[in-house]
Amino acid sequence: MGDVPAAPAPPVEGGDESNPNPSGGGCSDFVSVELSMGGDRYHSCCGDADLDICAPEGPKLPYVGDKEHLSTLAAEFQSGSPILQEKIKLLGEQYDALRRTRGDGNCFYRSFMFSYLEHILETQDKAEVERILKKIEQCKKTLQDLGYIEFTFEDFFSIFIDQLESVLQGQETSIGPEELLERTRDQMVSDYVVMFFRFVTSGEIQRRAEFFEPFISGLTNSTVVQFCKASVEPMGEESDHVHIIALSDALGVPIRVMYLDRSSCDAGNLSVNHHDFIPEANSSEGAAAEKPYITLLYRPGHYDILYPK
Amino acid sequence: MTTTAAKYNRGNPAVKRILQEVKEMQSNPSPDFMALPLEEDIFEWQFAILGPRDSEFEGGIYHGRIQLPSDYPFKPPSFMLLTPSGRFEVQKKICLSISNYHPEHWQPSWSVRTALVALIAFMPTNPGGALGSLDYKKEDRWALAIKSREAPPKFGSPERQKVIDEIHEQMLSKAPPVPQLLTNGANETNLLPTSDASDEQANKAVEGESTSGSSSGSVNNDLPKPGSELEVVQNIVEARTEGVTNHSMANPSRESIPRLAPTPQNPIVAMQKPKHDRLLTLAAFGLSLAIMALVIKKFLKINGLAGFIESEF
Repeated sequence: MGDVPAAPAPPVEGGDESNPNPSGGGCSDFVSVELSMGGDRYHSCCGDADLDICAPEGPKLPYVGDKEHLSTLAAEFQSGSPILQEKIKLLGEQYDALRRTRGDGNCFYRSFMFSYLEHILETQDKAEVERILKKIEQCKKTLQDLGYIEFTFEDFFSIFIDQLESVLQGQETSIGPEELLERTRDQMVSDYVVMFFRFVTSGEIQRRAEFFEPFISGLTNSTVVQFCKASVEPMGEESDHVHIIALSDALGVPIRVMYLDRSSCDAGNLSVNHHDFIPEANSSEGAAAEKPYITLLYRPGHYDILYPK
Repeated sequence: MTTTAAKYNRGNPAVKRILQEVKEMQSNPSPDFMALPLEEDIFEWQFAILGPRDSEFEGGIYHGRIQLPSDYPFKPPSFMLLTPSGRFEVQKKICLSISNYHPEHWQPSWSVRTALVALIAFMPTNPGGALGSLDYKKEDRWALAIKSREAPPKFGSPERQKVIDEIHEQMLSKAPPVPQLLTNGANETNLLPTSDASDEQANKAVEGESTSGSSSGSVNNDLPKPGSELEVVQNIVEARTEGVTNHSMANPSRESIPRLAPTPQNPIVAMQKPKHDRLLTLAAFGLSLAIMALVIKKFLKINGLAGFIESEF
């Protein structure tokens, strides 16, 4: 009796009453848990408590908006918190314009995309393009080493490289600032580039898993790989410090983030906190540790682009 | 805006990606599944998966349809089965996290291959009331697995049917046979690894109480005709009967025959015949021995040796 040929444990049949997970019409919990992992998701864009300092949410906003004078931000908070009003005033000393992005969970990547490509378009820095192309090649290799099948990421890579090449002038395919904005607003191009950044970010986090592990276990209860699958690779998953560090390191691009929140130093000497993400490799090369040319404005749950004076 | 994108991008990147997946599938064929897009529409695919090993689906060939969204791979493909499996409803979108009932879980780094592997893995899992899921009994699923090999489903345009038929032929050539299904206890079912199970195995597996005839009867009723599968089914019926015999009857050789006789369509009658024959042979042998003894005795008597024998006693 005991040595019946091996067979999988028979599923409970019919016994609906005894089913411990009666999950009405939806998928069984078993199946969902299997693939969603992590579980501990971030708050959605603008879903935070600090409602009054959030950027207006809505599908009306293009992925990347027009350049606006910083005074529009001040106007937005006219009746808001005095701390914020004061901070916006302080921001105004260094920055004069901002460009809003849509709050769809991809705002960090879209801000970074536009800001970086605009920088290349303006500076025509061929050396920088050469440099980042090498970095992109390394990122590709990282993903391959991690076991990603090339066809699942190559299109995202090639579309970003296309954009990079077309902002350099002097070719048939070259584009100007209007076209860049148009492409950034185009769903296809924009989403492909966002996905490119997500792959690069995920690859970097997994490549340096030991480095990122403490950050990640502090944020969520998941492993590095689970975190990447649940909070980095899927579209619409918001970005945090970990993502910015990883993307900045992977591509070797420094990023400054200005924090517009209600925190204040008790001494009364108010200042706008900022953090510079300086890529790992660059900081050791000394001269390359340049001042970030990408500046993002952070309000809890959202990133926009800032323009210095 | 989209026109500029199309202009600069030399075509839809989704098409490029899908072509890549087709190429990859062809250069790395899996023994467990096959998938092909239709020639006239690359976003429409047909597939077939093999039932997972060591499950009641083993050996079954399950056809289905895949629809890829125009913004694939950002949005997940949707799957539906066309072959009855007893696990997923036919022609209903399958509810798996990986398919488009749960788009929030889909990731562009997954592919049709990933989704098919997941689909196979989910087959033996408890559906737990998921949309488009069925919770058939093992016996019924197993009968459907056998049936699935008979012919591919009929679905869609002639071009699609051609793809379905082609896939079916190829899958049939590499599919292992459906293993035997044995019943152990009231609602536990076990599968034997091979179809040529010996009596010994059968006896071992069926020591418990046999299920009543209802489920095996239904299996019998929609029996497919191909030879090998019929054999398997017969073995099962046989194994069950032997279980009954060993367990509950003191003298099987005498009682089983009259008990089974009233069901003429049952193959058991035929299977029991050898035992009956052996009895007759024994009787005939005994009778001939007795006759021989009598003949010898008579022979001796005739030849006058009788007196010698008699004098001896």
